[in-house]
Amino acid sequence: MSNLKDAFKQNKVGPVFNGGDVAQAAIEAAEWDNPDKEITVVDKGAYIRISAEQELIITRESMEEALGRDFQMNEIEIHLGSMAGQIEVTPEQIRFYFEKTL
Amino acid sequence: MYQIPRAEWYDLTRATNWTYSYVSEDEIFPEEMSGSRGIPIEAWETYDEPYKVSYPEYVAIQREKDAGAYSVKAALERDAYVDRADPGWISTMIAHYGAIAVNEYAASLAEARMARFSKAPGNRNMATFGTLDENRHGQIQLFFPHANIKRSHQWDWAHKAMHTNDWASVAARSFFDDIMLTRDAIAVSIMLTFGFETGFTNMQFLGLAADASEAGDHTFASLISSVQTDEARHAQQGGPSLKILIANGHKEEAQKLVDVSIWRAWKLFSVLTGPIMDYYTPLEHRSQSFKEFMVEWIIIQFERQLADLGLDAPWFWEDLTNDLDVTHHGMHLGVWYWRPTVWWNPAAGASPEDREWLEEKYPGWNDTWGKCWDVITDNINNGREDLTLPETLPYVCNMCQLPIVGTPGSGWDVKDYQLEFEGRLYHFGSEADRWCFEQDPERYKEHQNLIDHFLAGDIQPADLPGALTYMGLGPGEMGKDAHDYAWAQAFKKQAEVA
Repeated sequence: MSNLKDAFKQNKVGPVFNGGDVAQAAIEAAEWDNPDKEITVVDKGAYIRISAEQELIITRESMEEALGRDFQMNEIEIHLGSMAGQIEVTPEQIRFYFEKTL
Repeated sequence: MYQIPRAEWYDLTRATNWTYSYVSEDEIFPEEMSGSRGIPIEAWETYDEPYKVSYPEYVAIQREKDAGAYSVKAALERDAYVDRADPGWISTMIAHYGAIAVNEYAASLAEARMARFSKAPGNRNMATFGTLDENRHGQIQLFFPHANIKRSHQWDWAHKAMHTNDWASVAARSFFDDIMLTRDAIAVSIMLTFGFETGFTNMQFLGLAADASEAGDHTFASLISSVQTDEARHAQQGGPSLKILIANGHKEEAQKLVDVSIWRAWKLFSVLTGPIMDYYTPLEHRSQSFKEFMVEWIIIQFERQLADLGLDAPWFWEDLTNDLDVTHHGMHLGVWYWRPTVWWNPAAGASPEDREWLEEKYPGWNDTWGKCWDVITDNINNGREDLTLPETLPYVCNMCQLPIVGTPGSGWDVKDYQLEFEGRLYHFGSEADRWCFEQDPERYKEHQNLIDHFLAGDIQPADLPGALTYMGLGPGEMGKDAHDYAWAQAFKKQAEVA
């Protein structure tokens, strides 16, 4: 970390969950919904960081598949502690993204 | 019954601006409260919050969150974790609750200001939920510590701290009042929800939750991480405000609001979160160093977000990244030395094993702060506790209200950044603290810091006991070493073996 002042020049986006079955389901859903991307998962115990380059989408359909139950997209808030990137939430999906590429 | 999906009615129902016939726009939205900065109301109507919630959804989701946090508390209550937790961890919780809980109500007022006075309907709608969020945070963070008052009066400072003139309370209030209570709605959306909540609250509510979870304190971990899920939603109010300000030629002011908020938050966290993470949390439970958490949440995640919204890195960015190795060590040394002046028991965190960890995380620690701890350790082991306790007060900065610190050792570099304004000499702990003052001297110039009060004769008798009374600290509340100097004993044994 010799040059910390430029450390932000990267493009990882994605949710940070405070645990729960939703976090585990979101990891699976992220793999299905972003087939061309490498999904990184960092588990810090109290929180789990899921990320991909530039854009990461999680759909309601995949969450239902992973959880094996009905799921409303806004239920994700119950365990969504933070996020890298901007977000856009619709009834069918949640999208984390950066407008710019650094 | 068929329900129309939210996406089909939300934009229409939250479009609550209308054409006024009895009063003028300026009467409904006074500039000093609304802060529209000459940008027409039509432009504020384009405010598009990325996180859309209806009231029934809000209630259902918040109920789930509360049920989660309260059920963890109830399930673990009989476990009496607090009775067997490390004293350093107890201090972490007591410091946290005192500095944070009552300020949540201030945050609720700040949200209410946006809910009433923002010209952006989307902002008003989200801030209504934000007002309720912060009320929840105040209640839950008073309720949880209340169960422990039977264990020590220090737990009562969850409620008491912000109603006293304790120096740490003054510092916290100075910052929170500045970004929450004394700004217009748009400035609040930028300084509080963007500057503070998309950045620094992650440190205290998720970073610290990782340590809590490591320490086996699942009640505290689930509580604070639950709080942060509200923050993650209502923190999204600042981004759309920034976009509108930038699109309408106000980038420079937006940048300034963000920069002041970041610097002031950094200074407060250097005294609160820094010592907690690197010294109070028992060594075996530290999941990362304070610096590593800062790099993860602020240096990488938050700064990247800033860039994406079209802002620049603050001008002091390089200073801040350098200070990650410095400031909180000095703050910790000061808090521990002036321990009777705080409402928690500071843990020294200076055992041989602690010092090895500090040297690994902060190369050079032993040659700088370690030298001060060498002297303290010798004094303790020679039965001279008196030499490790304060007799007077340290000089504090006229912006952050915290001691002016530098790096000890051979390169001792403490510096007083001065400014003379309207005949008064002000003292600051850094270039950036002085810069914050210079951005709006009218706002800050009347404020008397603790030392100004001391020198003006407001604190009587003018000595440490007088200052402790002024700060509201009674017996059983004043801080003492969390481990009763057990950490120093280890050095004595080392010396005996040698």
